[in-house]
Amino acid sequence: MELFDYVVLGASHAGLEALRAIRAHDADGSIAVLDREARLPVSPTVLPYVVSGKCAADRVALRERSWFDTQRVDYRQQAAAAALDTANSRLRLADGREISYGKLLLATGAAPALPPIEGLSDVSFHVLRTLDDALALRDVASKAGRSAGRAVVLGAGLVGMHAAENLVRAGAGVTIVEMRGQVLPGYFDPLAAARIEAVFRDKGVEVLTGRRVKQVAPRDEGCTVLLDDGEARDADLLLAAAGVRPEVSYLAGSGVAVERGIVVDEFMRTVADNVWAAGDVVQTRSFFADGTPAGGILPDAVEQGRTAGMSMAGDPGVRPYPGGVSLNTYGFFGRRALSVGRDAPEQAGSEWDVLVRGGEGADGYLKLVLREGRLQGIFGVDVLFDPGIMWELILRRVEIGARRDALLENPQDTARALMSGLWR
Amino acid sequence: MNDVVEKTALLADPAGERIVPGTDTAVAKKAPRILVCDGNEAAAWGVVLSRPDMVAVYPITPQSSLAEYVAQFVADGVLDAELVEAEGEHSVLSVLHGAALAGARTYTASCGQGLAFMFEPYFRTPNLRLPIVMSIVNRDGITPQCVWGGQQDAMTVREVGWVQLFCETVQEVLDTIVMAYRIAEDRSVMLPVNVNHDGNYLSNGIVRIELPDQTEVDDFLGTPDVNWHAALDPDRPMGVDPLTGGATGPGPALFVGYRRGHCEGMQNALRVIVEVHEEWARRFGRRYAPLVEEYRLDGADHALVTIGSMAGAAKDAVDAARDRGERVGLIRIKTLRPFPLDALVAALDKVRAVGVVDRAVSYGWNSGPVHQETLAALQHCGHRIPCLSLIGGLAGADLTQTHFERAIAETAKLLDAPCPREPVWLNAEDR
Amino acid sequence: MSATPTISFDPARCDGCGDCMSACVSAKSTVEYIAQSRIRIVRDDEAGCWGVAQCRQCGDPRCASVCPAAALAKGDDGIVAWDAERCVNCLLCTAGCIYGGIAFSPAEGHVVKCDQCAGAPQCVSACTRGALRYVNAAKLYNRWGELEDLFVPGLGGCQGCNTELIMRHTLRRVGPNTVLATPPGCIPGMGSVGYNGMLGCKVPVFHPLLTNTASMLTGIRRQYRRKGRKVTALALAGDGGAGDVGFQSLSGAAERGEQILFVCVDNEGYMNTGAQRSGSTTYGAWTATTPVGDTGRGKTQDAKNLPLLMMWHGCEYVATASTAFMEDFYAKLEAALDASERGFAYLHLYSPCTSGWRFPSASNIEVARKAVETNFALLWEYRRDRGLRLSRDIDDPAPVTEYLELLGKFRHLDAAQTAHIQRHVAAQAQVLRDLAGMHQDDGLSHCCSSIVPQAVRHETGG
Repeated sequence: MELFDYVVLGASHAGLEALRAIRAHDADGSIAVLDREARLPVSPTVLPYVVSGKCAADRVALRERSWFDTQRVDYRQQAAAAALDTANSRLRLADGREISYGKLLLATGAAPALPPIEGLSDVSFHVLRTLDDALALRDVASKAGRSAGRAVVLGAGLVGMHAAENLVRAGAGVTIVEMRGQVLPGYFDPLAAARIEAVFRDKGVEVLTGRRVKQVAPRDEGCTVLLDDGEARDADLLLAAAGVRPEVSYLAGSGVAVERGIVVDEFMRTVADNVWAAGDVVQTRSFFADGTPAGGILPDAVEQGRTAGMSMAGDPGVRPYPGGVSLNTYGFFGRRALSVGRDAPEQAGSEWDVLVRGGEGADGYLKLVLREGRLQGIFGVDVLFDPGIMWELILRRVEIGARRDALLENPQDTARALMSGLWR
Repeated sequence: MNDVVEKTALLADPAGERIVPGTDTAVAKKAPRILVCDGNEAAAWGVVLSRPDMVAVYPITPQSSLAEYVAQFVADGVLDAELVEAEGEHSVLSVLHGAALAGARTYTASCGQGLAFMFEPYFRTPNLRLPIVMSIVNRDGITPQCVWGGQQDAMTVREVGWVQLFCETVQEVLDTIVMAYRIAEDRSVMLPVNVNHDGNYLSNGIVRIELPDQTEVDDFLGTPDVNWHAALDPDRPMGVDPLTGGATGPGPALFVGYRRGHCEGMQNALRVIVEVHEEWARRFGRRYAPLVEEYRLDGADHALVTIGSMAGAAKDAVDAARDRGERVGLIRIKTLRPFPLDALVAALDKVRAVGVVDRAVSYGWNSGPVHQETLAALQHCGHRIPCLSLIGGLAGADLTQTHFERAIAETAKLLDAPCPREPVWLNAEDR
Repeated sequence: MSATPTISFDPARCDGCGDCMSACVSAKSTVEYIAQSRIRIVRDDEAGCWGVAQCRQCGDPRCASVCPAAALAKGDDGIVAWDAERCVNCLLCTAGCIYGGIAFSPAEGHVVKCDQCAGAPQCVSACTRGALRYVNAAKLYNRWGELEDLFVPGLGGCQGCNTELIMRHTLRRVGPNTVLATPPGCIPGMGSVGYNGMLGCKVPVFHPLLTNTASMLTGIRRQYRRKGRKVTALALAGDGGAGDVGFQSLSGAAERGEQILFVCVDNEGYMNTGAQRSGSTTYGAWTATTPVGDTGRGKTQDAKNLPLLMMWHGCEYVATASTAFMEDFYAKLEAALDASERGFAYLHLYSPCTSGWRFPSASNIEVARKAVETNFALLWEYRRDRGLRLSRDIDDPAPVTEYLELLGKFRHLDAAQTAHIQRHVAAQAQVLRDLAGMHQDDGLSHCCSSIVPQAVRHETGG
């Protein structure tokens, strides 16, 4: 049986970053990367751009094969895990072969979560998680666009919104159905979301928030979408973009604890010996230690991958993963929305401070959320700032103090000046 | 007299033909086969013949002219060596440490205060097992301030681990310097050698000597074999003298190993010194007692024990006493370190009383250092032999035949009377 | 991953003039658009100083790690390069950077970042106040990094000591064809010559006596020269072994012009034996033999200026250096090595001692830097054919107290002692200024030749 010092399951952002971190500390240990895909690794984040045609399918790989060779990593495609035996440090693959590992990283990511909608399995619909999904969607989108057909997008998250924009640009009539009260819930505060939604409406997108799909039924080559209030929309193209669920099917009986995702500690260790997990597959603790949604974003996956890799290699420089902070950079119709951190709770006490500029009709919108003088969140539409700096200010719990008004007025330069004094 | 070459003419004519003994037959014919010179120049010729790679010097009376001769020989091309005019004796020997560890055959000379100042590297030299040859032009120690001969310098350092040879004559100085390289570089020895010659008497006394042929000396010495055991050479990288000892690891055993090895080297030197002197006699026709010289001991009741150049006057006194019918002889120690125990015991066993004449003082014993050494050796004799300490020749004071006649008389008293504890201070009455 | 050149920013020298940003805009603009400056100077009114946002060309760039399109990558030239064709404008890179080093440019329609203008950054050229510097140290580190490390992987040094840096970097550069002398002190204490038969480095190495380093190297170097072999004779010695008990041999070898590279690691005392006073110990400093008590207030004499003493020997090369200024150190090591082929080269390194000077082990380099910035340690270079020149401007030093207050050994200083040190530092700086001035002014060059030893007068043209 083959034995590797390190086995990394999955070759997306978390897995690749872990790989880099391992090699940075352990130049000699043997490493295998097992990817269930048949293609070179591609980030899910880039897929909407494949759909829109901005990216050529052959120019989106995160790494070329030669990179793995240079790192002296045994990179294997179409190698999906079927079962994990943590007691014997053994992994069984879908083709029946077994591999022994010294240390194992589970970075298998997530798969699209299908909403429990009656009739969904009887109709043709799309999801967007892999390059194949993107290519298939691209083809039907352009067809739908050409024929000025109608598209219904289930879910107004980033995937759904990106896809809706692409479909509109292609010429299709688009309806977005979101069961929560705003677009991009969990990503942007309601005011920012309203601005974004308005832009979509201006572009002719029908945005239905606070609505559920009750049932779908086949219709010609498409389907009919029946909403909870009794209205219906015909769809030549149906896209299910209602979120993702961790890819943990192979963990049954392994002893690795799974709740909303794989349970890990601050060094990304699972409850099983010599098994780590990182990226979309884990249940990410929020930095704020509250109910704020965390994880599922690319920078988090990278941080987790780095933490896991360093921990696996025994790198003494490893620091605990601080917890997830929501962070989004969202471009839509040539405009930009940025968000970092959390909004204030509805029943905010006096320690909370919310500063807003740019209401209805203003050029840009910006909202600052402070707690005890420290930045908790910042949300902007058409106002530029450096999300990386804001993220760091949140993680370091930097006192904003007297700079709060300046930060609201000119978030980019104010935060840069503050940060410049911190890192130098 | 034809082959007597006037040394001053030779050295004073820089435009004249250079003498490079043994390197060129045409020139070699002009090589001085016989010289009239003092002990310091004889030593310098011994250095020339031994072809050291490096000589480091710092002047000190009465060694200075030796340093000057060597410098002149280098300047004249007679000696092809790196000459380092160091800023003090401490550096002189340190330079040679470095050079020897880089494979060089080396030479220096010093004495008295110079030796005292040199002491720190001096006592490291044998522990590094570096086969350095160094003349000590023996000088008494200050204070009182003095610049004259005496053996207090060499006697003070006799426990440091160098081989110590003491010469009687100017010719022996030259011959012993060449022999010293063979002894030092013998792989069973690997120890530095001091060739002692008395300040004033030997350093400045001018006599006729013979100069061995360079080719034969080359053949006798062979190529330098200096740093096979410990080297500072990028082609053979090693650490020289790491921290050794301590409570853990192999340290204590290693340390003891080094010390024991040093002692073994010393004992091997006893054998090698004898062999080298034998070979010297075979090749060059001059025979010296390698360890201990026995002079007219046959049928002797008593004897003097001497060391260094004083033996000349002492032998005259012995001859005169023999002429008067006294049954007296003489024992001369050439090799003090390693201590020639067996040779000395064999000599002592032939007499019933001895008087040891020292040119140095052992303050704590209220006698002379060689006297102490002799007392220790007497432990190994078959019978009890009374042993008197006589001290003379301090600070260049004369030790004449008259002084030795008194020494013989004082020693003869031991045959009938108890041995006094007090030493006899031979120059105490001299004005 | 290789380190690379960086553009350093000194807020103390920045007056916010904005010339750097203008230069960047001109360099990056085209006929189609006015570019956004890739460097941004920003005012922090709270801190009362200027700050900078510019790509640091990270060795491990997080902007690239978070890019979903593989549009950012660190190249072999060290620049984090942006690929316009791959970029999808998602702005995630701006989330990966904490320096504000990559940002969206509305005018250009995509993210922009500094590319250091292909090795000739225009912002640096435009900065007249020296606030921006193009630091090439990384190139040197890379070059040095490729050379063999000739010391053992583990060293028995004190935590935070900079001497390991000195040892490794010096030997990497000097190379294996070297005989290394490390007289008793911290360096063999770290294990250079090893212990009980185990060796500390990969070149021939030895303990000279504390007193005879330069003399032993004399013998070694001369013997190899005699045999036609080119072997570098290198000393790594402490200040006591160099300037106190070892000074005679050092002086002798320097006077004779022996071809030796002598590096003095000056930690201002006998630190390996428990921090006793040496001739290099500063006035007022606590040491184990200049203790502080009811009457004792530390050392009562100024340190001797060993490097200046060496200069007066007329060595081939003498310089002072600090591990807080590695480029300068490298340049001087290079020059010293070269000079040691011709004669005596002496390199004096200021080496703060974490344990003996009583400061936190993490701040060694900062202490070293502050020593230089306050003129406490003056960086200069003397070449026999060119005289003395200062390595950096010494006219506007930080107050000496900024240095003194970092160190526990000065904690007891009273106002009079502090004033004494301030006067001494100023006087030493003036001496250096005068010496350097002699060589800058042709009118004085005749005079300098009689004051500062200078062998090759005709080459200096004075």
